[in-house]
This record gives sequence, structure tokens and C-alpha cells, in this order.
Amino acid sequence: MRLRTKKEGNVVSQLYDEVRDFLHREAFLIDNRRFGEWLDLLGETLVYRMPLRVTREKSAGSDIVEEMTFLEENKRSLITRVHRLNTTSAWAEDPPSRTRHFITNIFVEPVADDEVQVTSYFLMLRSRGSKEEVEQIFGERHDVLKKVDSSWKLTYRTIYPDQSVLGIRNISNFL
Amino acid sequence: MAYKTVDRQTLEEVKTKIQRGMLPQWAFTNHDIYERELEHIYAKTWNFIAHESEIANPGDYVTRWIVNDPILLLRDKDGQMKAYLNSCAHRGMQLCSADFGNKSTFTCPYHGWTFNQKGELIGIVAGNKVYGHEMDKSQWGLRKIPRLESYRGMIFASLNPDAESLEDFLGGMKWYFDIMLGRTTNGMEVRGVPHRWIINTNWKISSDNFGGDPYHTAMTHRSTVELGISPQDPLYASYGHQVVLENGHGINLCTTKDGGTKYPYQGLPKELWGEFEQNLTPEQRAVLYKTVVFVGSCFPNLSFVSPMHGTGGPDEPLTSFVNFRTWRPLAPDKIEVCSWLLVDKDAPESFKEASYKSYIGSFGPAGTLEQDDGEIWTRVVDASKGYMIQHKDVHYDNVLNYIMGLDRVEPDESWPGPGVAYPTCYLDAISRAFYEQWVDMLLASEA
Repeated sequence: MRLRTKKEGNVVSQLYDEVRDFLHREAFLIDNRRFGEWLDLLGETLVYRMPLRVTREKSAGSDIVEEMTFLEENKRSLITRVHRLNTTSAWAEDPPSRTRHFITNIFVEPVADDEVQVTSYFLMLRSRGSKEEVEQIFGERHDVLKKVDSSWKLTYRTIYPDQSVLGIRNISNFL
Repeated sequence: MAYKTVDRQTLEEVKTKIQRGMLPQWAFTNHDIYERELEHIYAKTWNFIAHESEIANPGDYVTRWIVNDPILLLRDKDGQMKAYLNSCAHRGMQLCSADFGNKSTFTCPYHGWTFNQKGELIGIVAGNKVYGHEMDKSQWGLRKIPRLESYRGMIFASLNPDAESLEDFLGGMKWYFDIMLGRTTNGMEVRGVPHRWIINTNWKISSDNFGGDPYHTAMTHRSTVELGISPQDPLYASYGHQVVLENGHGINLCTTKDGGTKYPYQGLPKELWGEFEQNLTPEQRAVLYKTVVFVGSCFPNLSFVSPMHGTGGPDEPLTSFVNFRTWRPLAPDKIEVCSWLLVDKDAPESFKEASYKSYIGSFGPAGTLEQDDGEIWTRVVDASKGYMIQHKDVHYDNVLNYIMGLDRVEPDESWPGPGVAYPTCYLDAISRAFYEQWVDMLLASEA
């Protein structure tokens, strides 16, 4: 991925600001459990995946296994997940976790007038109950955003966790 | 004193309690019990470590653990499976730190000692210059894991050279493994690599849950009832048979209220039905035909579930999958889950894909069923650490209720498979047998 710089002008800078605001707003909605509004940010043809990270020797190549994933979702299945969280018996999130999604290191690459590829780092911290211990999950996301009716929509997301053994009891939050 | 050791008398009292349907809650979190479990259960018995398809080719290897013992499992150039302690014979360094790969030799990064697939020491850095006649290389090979055997592609290892054969250990479970793992001619394969994650719970809670607890589904997984994916009937997970097997193993074969099924053979593709005839007995076929969910545990910490599930919503088709998982103890209140998706090699690609999505949507760590299980097991352990619960006098206040069906449900003598089969899955019979095996193994250490 090529790094855009300020030298390329205000158009790129404004694009960067829009994308950053989109990702921060998305994180805010998830952390505040405003999942209905979060779903509105997702494109109708969304592909939302989370492959496995593995530990391999450097010479063996990629440390991502695409054949197995934690999540292999589309908009419909994410709607079902949100419906589930809204039932009276989704115990993994009842009482709800307190979460903070920290989204940083955002790289934006325009691929068309109405489409950008975005790489970002994520750190989600999660607090449950009265435990002082913090559950966390972190890694990198590769997104595609598309402009639909003058609003950005997430149309593709791949989440690469950095741990090969997740130190989190489940993935009951969105990343 | 309450937190400290347990003695023979305590264990004998525990056994009596278990037989009467009561388990001391401190058994989940007591440190002395935990240490005994590692020595007298995990080091004595058979432990599932991998599926043969994970090391299909010569040179393929995976690294795994039997609790705290690092295992290097590989297929040598002659096609033989080998398992070694994944620790260099020189200074103990973890020899191979990758999860999997393909190699003909393994070189220790500490001093460069190199071992071949037979575990033989074949290279020493500056060997001739620093070692003389005192070095007999044949004495310094990798330490072999004492026992390594497989059944239907499932590879088990034991640290106990005197362990019974794997087939004897599995006993009647083999008949049920045949149905899940041996129904098609070319057997099963692992898709990708297993999921691994940490849950702060005790290994017995998860083994017990998969082994003998269909009763929890109506409440723990009620969200899926609310979504319309699971039936409203609170008895829906009770229909079928709970089968108690020897050595602490058990399996539930859940059917429907009237025994009928909309999905013969768990909705497995029709292309495979002919293979079922070749590979299964008529009795096994009849069981596969009508069973909706297979769920159980192999003592001590291998569990499995083969249900039919969907991902999108109540109107989406249901697809079956076969999921095996181990609960590796890391502490009395911590486990590492390792969870494999198995699919019939002979199944069409479209089914394999649907089966994979069904698995990750329901029983992977983001699965809508798995999420709530892990959450609840954590809360059991959270509530099992206090003084009142740790107190060793076995009385009303600190025992848990395992009396469901005790002396009340008679076995179904017409059941065609091995084991003692009860005509309901809402029963604590497997759990009682699991904990009896557990306490018997701890008691054997006291002999």
C-alpha cells in the first residue's frame, strides 16, 4: 500500500479526515452499544471476515490462515448477531461489557472517486463485571469504504488478530 | 486449613457423594486437587493431540501440549507418525516454536544441536572439537512420548508407558466415533487449523458441560430460542438418549419429540449416503439417520459436538458439522480451548463450505452458542473460590446438585449401541460417571 502525503494536496487530506471520522464514529457507536446505527454504516454487500493468526517460522511464509476464520459474515448475519444481543438472554453481553475500541495508524488509499482502501490498527479493551483484569484483543484491519448517496459505507473488512491464542473468553463484540 | 490438601478419607467421602448425585464445589478450584489431576489423570491417561490430516505428508509437523508437556508430532519420510518431547536433549530449549510446518530436521536455536525425524541427534556444532568419547550421540536423541496411537484419524498420546491400548481406553466410544468420523470411505479432514483461545474456567466444567449437560441448552442458549433458531419447547434438548460409557466417557444422541427428522443423516449430502452403507452397520446407520445432535466427552478433556445449525436466521437452511475440542488445563481456573472443525473428505465443496460457516457461526469463539457457554463457565469458577466453598467438610452447603434422574430413569435395553443408554438427555448420569472416574483416578494415587 502506497503512503499518501500532504504534498498531494488538500483533497487527500480531506479524504483522510472523512475516513478517520468514519472509523472513530463507528468505534463510538459500537462502544456505546448503538448497534442499530452501526448497522447503518454497513454496505448491503458487506464482506466481514476475521482469519486466524498462527505462529510459523519466518521461512514458512504467511502467518495468516485464510481457510479458518473467527468470523465470516455478511450484513444479514451481522443483523442476526445484533438481534441476538438484543434478546433477553445473550449472557456473553449481559451484563454488558464495557469496551473501548482504539483505532489508530490509519492509512487511506483512494482507489476510485467513490472508493478507498483503509488500513488501521485496532486495540479493543474489555472490562466485565467487577474484575480488575482487562481482556484485550488487537491487530490490524483492512477495509474498503464506498460512497453511497454521499455517505461512506463499509463494504469489506478483514480483521487480522495478532494473537494465535486469543486471550479473550469469546468474541461477543464487533471489531 | 480449608484451602490445603485433601486426603484419602476426603476423596472416599467425595466418591460416596458423587454416587448419590453430589459434587463438592471446591473440586473445581482446589489447588491440591489440580496438582493431583495433572499427575494422576493427565500423565496417566490418553490425551488427544491432533488429527491425522494435520500431518498428511512426510515432514509435516504440529506442535501441541499435554498440559505442560510440549509435544512435537510429525510424519517421517516413511509415513510413520512420531511424537517427541519438544525440548532439546542438551539444555531443554523448546526445539520447535512454530505451530506447524514441514521439515526434515529440527535444529535447536540455543547451541545448534540437530535432530532428524527419527528423533536421532545427527548434528552437533563443533562436535568433534568439543566432545570426545564421552559423547555417544545415540544416547542424546529427542525423548520419545511413551505412547502414540490413533483411531479413525484421531491421534492420542500418553505419557504413561503402561497405559492400556487406545482402543481399550475408548471402549464403546469407538462405535460412536465410527458414526461421526468413519462413515465415509476416506474419513475426515481438518479444515484450516484449530481455533485456540483462553477461558477462565476449570477443565472439568467444560468437559462436564459437553459430556452430560443437554439440560443447559434451554436457558444458556435461550437467545437462539428467542431468535427462532431453536425450538420453544423447553424439553427440546431432552429427546433422545444419554449413553454412559466406560472410563468416564459419555455421549448424548439428541433426536426430536416424535423421533422423526426433517433432515435424515443430519442433512449430510445424498452423495455420501451410499458410503454410509459401506462403512456403517445397519444399527449405526439407523442412529445416524435420526440423530439431530451428537454431543459428548471423552475422559478427561476431549469433547465433541455435531449439531445442525444455521448462521443467518430462522429461515436459513441448517447444516451439520463435526467439532472436536480439548480443554487444556493451565491453572485450576484457566483453560486453553483448542477446537477443530472436521469434515468428510468425500463431501462436495459446497457442503464443506456450509459446514464451516455453520461451525464458526455457532461454536467457534465468536459463535452465538459458544459465547454464552464460555461466559457461564467463567462465572461458575468465579463463584467457587471462597472459604465456605473450599471448606472440606462435605455437607449440604458446599455440594452441587447432580441428582437428575438418579435411581429414577431406567436404561433402554433396546438401544443398539454399546454403553448404558437412558431414554432422555436431561439426566446427570454421564456427569456422575465422569466424576466417579475422576475420583477413582485420584484415589488410585492414594493406594
